[in-house]
Amino acid sequence: MSTEGPINLKQDRRQWLKTSATVLGASLLPLPAMPSEVAQAETAPGTAQTKPGETKSAARFFTPAQHTLVEELSETIIPADSHSGGAKAAQVADYIEQALRETVDNSQKSVWRDGLRLIDLMSQHYNGKSFVDSSSDERIAVLTVLSDNDHMTDLPEVRFFRDLKGLTVRGYYTSKIGIDDELEYRGNRMLTEYVGCDDPTPKSR
Amino acid sequence: MDRKEANGVMRMHGESSRMAESGIDPKKTYDAVVVGSGAAGGMAAHVLTIHGLQVLLLEAGKKLPIEQELRSMQWPYDNAYRGALPPDHASITFNEYTIRRPPYGAGLEKTKHLHSYVGSTDYVKNIVVDERENPYTGTNYAWVRARCLGGKTNIWGRLALRLSDYDFKAKSRDGYGENWPISYSDLAPYYDKVDLYLGITGVKENLPYLPDSIFQRPTKLNCAEVTLKQSLQKMGRTLTQYRAGVTSDGLKHNQYRSQCFGRGACERKGGCDIHAAFDSPTGLIYPAMDTGNLALRTNAVVREVTIDAQTGKASGVHFVDSETMKDYTVRARVVLVAASTLESARLLLLSKSRLYPNGLANSSGHVGHNFCEHIMGPGVVGLAQDLVGKPSTLDDGRPGGFYLTRFRNLAEKHPKFIRGYGFEGGSGARMFPEGTDRHGFGASFKEEVRRNEGAYISMGAFGEVLARYENYVDLDPVVKDKWGIPALRFHYNFGDNEHRMAEDMKETAQEMFEAAGFKTVHVSSRVLTEGWSIHELGTARMGSDPKTSVLNQFQQSHDVKNLFVVDGSAFVNASCQNPTWTIMSLCWRSCDYLADELGKGNL
Ligand SMILES: Cc1cc2nc3c(=O)[nH]c(=O)nc-3n(C[C@H](O)[C@H](O)[C@H](O)COP(=O)(O)OP(=O)(O)OC[C@H]3O[C@@H](n4cnc5c(N)ncnc54)[C@H](O)[C@@H]3O)c2cc1C
Ligand code: SF4
Repeated sequence: MSTEGPINLKQDRRQWLKTSATVLGASLLPLPAMPSEVAQAETAPGTAQTKPGETKSAARFFTPAQHTLVEELSETIIPADSHSGGAKAAQVADYIEQALRETVDNSQKSVWRDGLRLIDLMSQHYNGKSFVDSSSDERIAVLTVLSDNDHMTDLPEVRFFRDLKGLTVRGYYTSKIGIDDELEYRGNRMLTEYVGCDDPTPKSR
Repeated sequence: MDRKEANGVMRMHGESSRMAESGIDPKKTYDAVVVGSGAAGGMAAHVLTIHGLQVLLLEAGKKLPIEQELRSMQWPYDNAYRGALPPDHASITFNEYTIRRPPYGAGLEKTKHLHSYVGSTDYVKNIVVDERENPYTGTNYAWVRARCLGGKTNIWGRLALRLSDYDFKAKSRDGYGENWPISYSDLAPYYDKVDLYLGITGVKENLPYLPDSIFQRPTKLNCAEVTLKQSLQKMGRTLTQYRAGVTSDGLKHNQYRSQCFGRGACERKGGCDIHAAFDSPTGLIYPAMDTGNLALRTNAVVREVTIDAQTGKASGVHFVDSETMKDYTVRARVVLVAASTLESARLLLLSKSRLYPNGLANSSGHVGHNFCEHIMGPGVVGLAQDLVGKPSTLDDGRPGGFYLTRFRNLAEKHPKFIRGYGFEGGSGARMFPEGTDRHGFGASFKEEVRRNEGAYISMGAFGEVLARYENYVDLDPVVKDKWGIPALRFHYNFGDNEHRMAEDMKETAQEMFEAAGFKTVHVSSRVLTEGWSIHELGTARMGSDPKTSVLNQFQQSHDVKNLFVVDGSAFVNASCQNPTWTIMSLCWRSCDYLADELGKGNL
């Protein structure tokens, strides 16, 4: 795939959708765009409306193949590097699975069902193979198309990308790996005194 | 934390819930009945029981097992929802407040439970009310209510500021509105009492417009905050350590509260499970129970203040049990309404009778009017570039960052608006990093989040909303709450002065960050929905003229001598300082007067 400037997603998608219109049906036509205030993420990602947790229901939201795909997608969003593990090590896909299994927001569920298929269509179009079979650079190329066009919230694949990124970020930075290894967060412990500016070493007790 | 203290709290929980169940003596006439157990009701219970009065405290909400709710040191990965709401709960977003009209529950029916914007985490979902059970109507308003023992003090932000004569005598300075019927010197001794009894951290600044408290050990500023402070000094502006209603040294006289141990999850808005941060139950109500003079009844939704038709005086209250729906009547020599500003106005309006057809204490027609608060929204986020890429620091082990004090309309008059505003802010690394809403993904995204983690600094403004007669609440003729009680209807909007002030807030915020050398990340000019500040005030204002005010300087009804309204409804204007410390100081003063008058047989 060439890298001469950003790809116009709206032009490209006609081609890759054509190949699969029969499989996907009409659900992938553009939707009304999200109001820009929503797009702007009103508060911290922590305040998203629904979040996963324990549940008695063992029913999985993802098939094993989809789970693998989500693992690779989330790892592409937050990869392992020399500093710390990435989304895969932090088991972000499991977190996302729970979120989707438990949400009462059916539109979010369909964004994901459609999105996972669209990602593979895009990958076939740009890389000639599925997302999971693609190299790391090829995966980045696919997500770059979506990221560069992430204002096009009328497109289901863009909505999917935004939700994927949001859940990955939330899952990762609330994980032990995210907090301890990546951010090296030092708070949430008993202190005799907050240290402040003059002396950067906290006295822990 | 001291083990003994933790056990003390647990033991007390057992005792107080027993008391709650043993409930009330229907044959007894209490010296005083207090409606509501938040900052105001808790303070009333404390002061009156110390005076030896037999007090009944009625609270509409439950007594929550609060330690289970708060979980101040829980790691997100140990929480089933990583700290966010379970799937059957949702909170109202800024968008929804803006594009919909109250009641917000109707039309937002995806989830079983719906909360105000504050109810957006697992830690507060049982503290704030379910909007569906507690509807209101009228103009857009983000009304945050906590119905449980302690009310909103379980989750308050703890910024504890005094008012000054710049506020009490604001009319004398700019001609607008009314002066308070008291001066700073009347209240100062009571501010002192509240400081000493509840504990407050901060640093003395000797500012005439923001008087100092009697502070315990202050928290410290971190590096970006010090940079901002120094830069502001050159502009003649003051940035001071967050003045928090938190005991940093501990309180020898209170066995239910520990000193602050600077733990990171303080900003979680889920309260402080060792009660270093003030909350009404451990700060005021449990100690009041220890006097043996307090009876507490939770799940008691007061629907009316009753009247003795002969004397025209208050005789007690009617309440409905929130669970069983059974009705009860209790009798008292004095009634104190402390249900929070808007709920107190609602209760007065609900208490209509042949004698008082417009509602109780309302011969002036001012109940529900002159409703005011603080305008919020404008603010700035910046990066202290010298901190980018530095090793991780511990920045959030304290109850707050900084307060940038008012600087408008002090010595000089601003050409575009009257009154003032201050900023709350903070800087440094947090448990959940800032900056994850940046564009992009992948290795560079991850690295940028990490490098910038400790370098963010931000602040947001709180400005005075003028008290105007036209801003008011009344009862909705149709809509009722879960208990069949008429809902409150809002007629409330920000005015021109507020919008012009908001414009200035945005400009000065950006200027001050630029002057300090921070890189601006985001400037917000958007005004948040009315009510966002959770500082609603002024619906039963004090004054010396019974024709234009509801209460006298002791929060006593001009019309009904044995009726007191001891919460923020008594405020004459909102000032720009957070109200809770003033609410409690006023209440203490009024309750001293009340006990004295009762003793003299004047009530
Ligand atoms: C997230 C948050 C942050 C805040 N930050 C700050 C801050 O930094 N600084 C500051 O000064 N203030 C802050 N506040 C505001 C502060 O909490 C309030 O000013 C204070 O709690 C008001 O006390 P109150 O007693 O009037 O009302 P509340 O604390 O609300 O208590 C009222 C009580 O009355 C009960 N009640 C209501 N109706 C009835 C009825 N009909 N019958 C019986 N009981 C009834 C309620 O259930 C409640 O328990 C904050 C509030 C919130 C929610
Ligand atoms: S920092 Fe202090 S006030 Fe805040 S939760 Fe911890 S102990 Fe409580």
